[in-house]
Amino acid sequence: MGSEILKFVWRVSKMENNYQLSRIHNYISGLMNKEEMFQLEKEALEDPFLQDAIEGYRLQKGVDVRQLSLLQQRLNRRVEQTISTRNAQFYTWQRLAVGSAAAVIFVVLIAFIYFKNFNINKSRTTEVELSSPENKIAIEPLLTGGDASPIEGWNAFEQYLQRNVQVRDLGGKIILNFEVDKNGKLINVNFEDAPNEVLKKEILRLIDKGPKWHGKKGKLIISFPIENPTQAFKPTHCFGIEEKSN
Amino acid sequence: MYLKASIKQSNIPSMTEKELLIQYRSTGDLDLLGKLYAPYMSLLYGVCFKYLHDAEKSQDAVMQIFEELIRKLRIHEVDNFKSWLYTFSKNFCLMQLRKEKGTQYVDIDEQVAVGHDYLDESDPKEWSESQFEKLEMCMLTLKPEQERCIRLFYLEQKCYKDIVALTGIEMNKVKSYIQNGKRNLKICMESK
Repeated sequence: MGSEILKFVWRVSKMENNYQLSRIHNYISGLMNKEEMFQLEKEALEDPFLQDAIEGYRLQKGVDVRQLSLLQQRLNRRVEQTISTRNAQFYTWQRLAVGSAAAVIFVVLIAFIYFKNFNINKSRTTEVELSSPENKIAIEPLLTGGDASPIEGWNAFEQYLQRNVQVRDLGGKIILNFEVDKNGKLINVNFEDAPNEVLKKEILRLIDKGPKWHGKKGKLIISFPIENPTQAFKPTHCFGIEEKSN
Repeated sequence: MYLKASIKQSNIPSMTEKELLIQYRSTGDLDLLGKLYAPYMSLLYGVCFKYLHDAEKSQDAVMQIFEELIRKLRIHEVDNFKSWLYTFSKNFCLMQLRKEKGTQYVDIDEQVAVGHDYLDESDPKEWSESQFEKLEMCMLTLKPEQERCIRLFYLEQKCYKDIVALTGIEMNKVKSYIQNGKRNLKICMESK
């Protein structure tokens, strides 16, 4: 028993900043002394976040570290996804060529803007990002939907989408349910929340031409990037170019 | 002692947390957002489980909340990430429940009460004699069970389990007596 707890604590402390979790575990499993229990209860009364978490874990009848490390893996995968697509994009020759051409134009453009502003004694800093992570299509499979996955893996599927998507001027998040037939094709695709028709058609097209799947059914979130974020929301700073400078 | 340790623990990361928030807002680097989010995932999972009552749904919800943050945190300037995240996540779960109507488990009374608790991160003020008198007065306005539980918890520092043993009241009731009693006391103390 003792070594088990030690192992648990060790694993938990490996996960960042999760000391509250080990307290919750000890509390629910009756491993705390009375003062410790009182302290946690008192903190929870001041902290609804903690309170809800304790109630949740109590309802689940304990902390399951396996679940949580799975979650951590999902998060890592989600974060790495964009990093790997970013790298993949950077290191193919074609992209590199296009990229360097774009970079030259970019530098010229910035220099132009800079000098234009400089000449009229109004210097501004302008930050423009060429490829930020949210300008990539991202997918997130949902466990509740089933076990289906692309045969070549999620990253490959994501890169396929990235390479073949033709709709560039629309952003948004699409949730879809589907089944996999015996040939590995997706069938009975259903969309949640009535998404944009153009995106819907585009997804159906991509899926139809896309790689094969295994599993029975699945559920996915596909996030399309908003190519030009300035249209979607106004940041409070930068993008000074838009202001008039006569 | 214990309490002090926990306060220290939460203060140091919040320094860097603010920096992470600001940096993420300007760069959109998911790595930063991941670092910001990871420490809260286990607590969030618990919160989601409280509302959704299902392990897989809760795991999905934690990931879906992350997806939402990717955009939200580039737009909004968030001051207190922890409480913002909590409120956002709770609303997310409640929306989720509303979507699959018919499976509502939420105790509304408790929901209304909980939301305000973050507003007063009260620094301990010196209490005058008259305030103690007022407190005693207010204690008398509580329901007898609430008063008893409050006394045992805050004055005698008994944990819930002890209070259950002493009074024979169920654990859940003890908790809600203390929660509601505390709220009523506050209302009473702030009146007049």
